[in-house]
Amino acid sequence: MNPVLIEARNVRRSYDGGTVQALRGVDLTIRRGEFVAIMGPSGSGKSTLLNVLGALDPEVEGVITIDGADLRHLPDPERFRARVLGFVFQSFHLLPTLTALENVQIPMFEMPWPAAQRRARAAGLLETLGLGARLNHLPAKLSGGERQRVAIARSLANEPQVLLADEPTGNLDSVSAQKIMEVLHAIHARGDRTIIVVTHDPQVAAEAQRTLHMRDGRIVDGPPGAAGEAA
Amino acid sequence: MSFFTLILKNLLRRRLRSVLTIVGIAVGIGAVVALTSLAWGFERSWAATYKARGTDLIVTKASIRSAMPAAFPQEWRAKVEALPYVKEAPGALAEVSGVEEIPSMVLLGWEPGNFLWDHLKLEQGHWPDRDAKRVVALGIVAAEMLGKKVGDTIQIEAGTCTVGAIFNSSALAENGGIVVPLAELQALMDRPGMVNFFNVRLVPGTTPEQVQELRALVKQRLPGLTAFSAGEVAQANAGIQIAKAMSLATSVIALFVGAVGVMNTILMSVFERLHEIGVLLAIGWRRSRIRWMILCESLVLSLAGGLVGSGLGVAAVRLLQISPWIRGKLEGQVDLPLLGIAMLIALGLGALGGLYPAWVGSRMSPVTALRHE
Repeated sequence: MNPVLIEARNVRRSYDGGTVQALRGVDLTIRRGEFVAIMGPSGSGKSTLLNVLGALDPEVEGVITIDGADLRHLPDPERFRARVLGFVFQSFHLLPTLTALENVQIPMFEMPWPAAQRRARAAGLLETLGLGARLNHLPAKLSGGERQRVAIARSLANEPQVLLADEPTGNLDSVSAQKIMEVLHAIHARGDRTIIVVTHDPQVAAEAQRTLHMRDGRIVDGPPGAAGEAA
Repeated sequence: MSFFTLILKNLLRRRLRSVLTIVGIAVGIGAVVALTSLAWGFERSWAATYKARGTDLIVTKASIRSAMPAAFPQEWRAKVEALPYVKEAPGALAEVSGVEEIPSMVLLGWEPGNFLWDHLKLEQGHWPDRDAKRVVALGIVAAEMLGKKVGDTIQIEAGTCTVGAIFNSSALAENGGIVVPLAELQALMDRPGMVNFFNVRLVPGTTPEQVQELRALVKQRLPGLTAFSAGEVAQANAGIQIAKAMSLATSVIALFVGAVGVMNTILMSVFERLHEIGVLLAIGWRRSRIRWMILCESLVLSLAGGLVGSGLGVAAVRLLQISPWIRGKLEGQVDLPLLGIAMLIALGLGALGGLYPAWVGSRMSPVTALRHE
């Protein structure tokens, strides 16, 4: 098995007819099972890079592969996202009318699992994340930290290879943020999942095995192997 | 959680809006059910009337421009009875007119003693004889509506008549009508010597081929007149055609208005949920699933509207049947085919109204949709 899971070469993304260049030739290599943080100031291109790595943005130049699949030429990007990628967003993005248990089941509609299996699996994930007593609570009845844990459970619903988290602690107090980082660590500790976290928070980045720093649409430096290894 | 649960939760998010949309659809479908039911019932009632009289063929004016066919000379009866296979062909004059407090009532002019009277069951009094002057027979429903009994007087147009008999018929249209000796009705309606139907009885054993031959002869020898079967004359009746056209027009309008209403509701719902749709796309929902979800929301709304509307339509028919305008003249025909058509119309407008929002919702870029908060 190829130890490299994600590879990006000369990735560029511009908006408004090229006047705004969000990514200006990003090169990147991420190994299987790696926990990587991407840091940088606002507007540096972190979230754009995460969108690109998450196969959410087809209008990108360059070459990006995940487990050998070229993201620009995916025959079915939705299916790829459903089975290979898990997303955690800063604002949780839970569906407000669904309970925690129902929110976690949402991605599973894309898997060939019967309703009972979906339910049992969602309940198991939430219990693992300490939300066993909150299964039937609507998001509005949950704290920020609990909501983010529901969102993490949802991101793990289909057993993805890669977890992409965009400022997962950005809307949380320090105690909740710490809990979320512990959860991400626990997920990573199982060793079978690659985690990429975009963050402003140096404390969050410090938890990662490797931190990439971005500025003006480029990866500019990083501890062992960041920009250098990527190149 | 099933996919259907998700759809219901989406619709229940804006309960009032969903309910109002259902009400809008229900009113349209209710109108379709009520009008179509009455049109079908009207047609069935007249067909039953001719069958009950034992009429094999009805000869009347082919070109119908009013609720009742145009009148023609009664003396043409001899020409009809001279045709092969015709046993007898008494003329009849049928008119619709206001009678006392009742705004519209069917008046039937028949010659006393002919076979048209045979199927009527006398409840009270005596049938008018040939020499009777201004004596009429009331259908049992007409007598109840007018509050008349045998011996009472009744004002028909400018004439005052006496109620000589009250009868019961297997045909609802006759029960709500007044049978007047032909000459009397011709005088009352100022149509001396005129009829608008010949009720033809055929020689026993006449074959269908011979009936066709006779119909061709009627057309050939009596220009302007056509021979219809009982069912056909009901279908050719202008009133029935108008009722059917109205029910069709109402259906089309209901479909259009309902579809626009559903589209508006679902489109608003989609625009409110752009962000959520972005989340669903981001976590890997196929675009076809998004489309199906939105379309199903539209179909559930229209299905609910169809069910409520069918109930409203049936209730409206029941109410109309006891109104003085309709009572005794016809009964709505509410059956499974009609309710099936109503549900198909409802689902059709749901599909029409949901297609565009489903298309809008499913073609968004997840990144763009996620930016909507």
